[in-house]
Amino acid sequence: MSVFTLSQAAKEEVLLKELSSLTAHHRLNCEPYDRILAASGYQDAASVADLPWLPVRLFKTLELKSIPDDEVFKVLTSSGTTGDVSRIYLDKAAAAEQQRRLAATVQTILGPKRLPMLLVDTKAMLKDRRSFSARGAGVLGMSTFGRDHVWALDGEGLVDLDAIRGFLAKHGDQPFLIFGFTFLVWLHLYEVARDNGLDLSNGILIHSGGWKKLIDQAVSPDEFRARLAGVGLTNVHNYYGMVEQIGTIFLEGPSGGSLYCPDFADVVVRDPETWAELPPGKPGLLEVVSTLPTSYPGHVLLTEDLGVVHGIDDGDWPGKRFSVLGRLPRAEARGCSDTYRSAA
Amino acid sequence: MSVIFRFGAEGDLTAPSEDRLAVGDPRVVDFLGRLARKLLAPAVARKHPELGSLGYFLRPAELHRAVSRMQRDDALVFPRGNVFHLPPANVDTIFVYSWALSALAGNHNVVRISSRSAGAAEVILEALNAVAAEADPIIARTQRMVTYGYDDAITGALSKWCDLRVIWGGDAAVNTIRKLPLRPSARDLTFPDRTSWAMLSTAGWRAADLVARRNAVVGFANDAYWFDQAACSSPRTVFLVGGDGDSVRAEFLSLLLEVVDARGWTVDPAMAVEKRVNAYELAAIGAAGALDFPDNRVTALTLTGTDAAPRRWIGAGAFPFAEAGSLLDLVPAMNRQDQTVSHFGFTPAELREFGTALGGRGVDRIVPFGQALTFGAIWDGYDLPSEFTRLTVLQH
Repeated sequence: MSVFTLSQAAKEEVLLKELSSLTAHHRLNCEPYDRILAASGYQDAASVADLPWLPVRLFKTLELKSIPDDEVFKVLTSSGTTGDVSRIYLDKAAAAEQQRRLAATVQTILGPKRLPMLLVDTKAMLKDRRSFSARGAGVLGMSTFGRDHVWALDGEGLVDLDAIRGFLAKHGDQPFLIFGFTFLVWLHLYEVARDNGLDLSNGILIHSGGWKKLIDQAVSPDEFRARLAGVGLTNVHNYYGMVEQIGTIFLEGPSGGSLYCPDFADVVVRDPETWAELPPGKPGLLEVVSTLPTSYPGHVLLTEDLGVVHGIDDGDWPGKRFSVLGRLPRAEARGCSDTYRSAA
Repeated sequence: MSVIFRFGAEGDLTAPSEDRLAVGDPRVVDFLGRLARKLLAPAVARKHPELGSLGYFLRPAELHRAVSRMQRDDALVFPRGNVFHLPPANVDTIFVYSWALSALAGNHNVVRISSRSAGAAEVILEALNAVAAEADPIIARTQRMVTYGYDDAITGALSKWCDLRVIWGGDAAVNTIRKLPLRPSARDLTFPDRTSWAMLSTAGWRAADLVARRNAVVGFANDAYWFDQAACSSPRTVFLVGGDGDSVRAEFLSLLLEVVDARGWTVDPAMAVEKRVNAYELAAIGAAGALDFPDNRVTALTLTGTDAAPRRWIGAGAFPFAEAGSLLDLVPAMNRQDQTVSHFGFTPAELREFGTALGGRGVDRIVPFGQALTFGAIWDGYDLPSEFTRLTVLQH
């Protein structure tokens, strides 16, 4: 069973219809959203790229939801480094649907059965369940796709070699799932496996969290794959997703190098000067669309990530294949308001 | 935490000094005049136009005018004493204006220069040091510019040393620094968060010929874009006054784009996104009823009323528009936070009537387009030369 089935033309036909009706739905149910579209003079979209996008940062400053207060089932927050956090409001139906779609997406590579799971993270991170950080949400969301979970890091965040060895002794001869943030996998799994001769060849790695820290260490995505293959880990899938479109992940295909869009989602790369859609090969600002946000108007979002589409209907799976290239730096202005910022 | 000396003699900043300067001390006038010549050099002024205005402000004729304004018939005038300046990091030239007037008044000054200072500030510091080499050494002993981190021990010591503390940088900076005590006899001169507006008479616009309109827009564009619309006196909302503003606005915006094109100014994608976020927020809360994004460099918003004008920064090249029947109709929308109103097309009588009706409850400057950023000895409602001096009454 796969959620990577539709050719680009077929997908756009479906998405245009569904996202247009979601736009109408959110206009009816979220007044601030309706005001934004009215002020922008939005009429109708003739293509997916015509749909009205919201800058993802708006979810940090505005309360945007299309459900009444008493139907809010879960509020997700992003982990913000600047103090601002996104707030994403889910009702019961949206919460269930996002989990179902996420499951369908990862089962494309894991198969229908839950596999033994090694989490390259520390359980301590989950302690405060109320501060539902993106990292915690990611780990918890993914952990439901595995069984017999073992944490690769101890409470202090240090590698628990005994735990990893124990896990491999028990499950290492069958397919097993490894999940973790890219940088943690590199630091706490790859290097440990290499130095201790661990056999990870039956592992299926799913990882995410951005490349910045690795690129700082001069490790490119290609090198990451090559080095992991060196310790037997050849089944490796990066993914890209964000709390503002919870349940939607863009998954790296089996041959690596490109992320793919599930049938209910897509990406548009925009020229940051003209805001028009860019053709494959031209890097620009990444917009993500998904039919999952039904309880908040997050179905068409302009991210602050740069990306490039590599090709359409020409890879492991149909549709667009793309890469994320990094973040757009924050705007800084000159100005009078910034003399002295101490905690006096 | 160490102190880096950017200008002046190194040593204990708060040590007692035997040096004495007079109000309008010739050694200071000489020094500032030499500095002006350096800043007015064509190569400097071309690269940093804001230094040209600074150089103009420091010309000997201007300095003598400022000194004569410090003199009084009814009292002896002396320097205030020790002055500690905390200028903003990002408006490169403010520290010089504030410091130069204080030096001209004969004060011993310590200026904290942000470690993030760049560009024009570095050029100024180079010029200061070059001029100091030929000037009287008392300048370097009494005028010091330093960089240090957010270190309350140093700021605290300088706060106890000074007779006047000059705090730029907005509400947060003022509130933070005010926690550090001054001597009982000392006081603060504060420059809190400010908002500035542009007001355009639609009748005056229609009566002006194309050259005058274009010149007005050039002045407005300088006011707005030089400091990314983020200086206290940068105009943000444009009030179209007098009715039938639509066609005036359209022509104003198209001239603005021409000027921005001609200057080669750009707005980077991050700033464009920032402006979208802010514009969408204003639409979402019902403050803006229409948004136009003709180009990354210009964002135009139609406000739903004059009271919807935002008082926070919403990005470089973001122009909310609102209409008003007359300047007097705008009086209730102004408050204490408002600093500069830059204007075009009004009669002197209209402007005087507006200023009088404000009654000092808001707006400290009413100046023509193109003059919004021009620093003056009267700033934020203060007569700075008088703030920087102290008076002794002498009756025979």
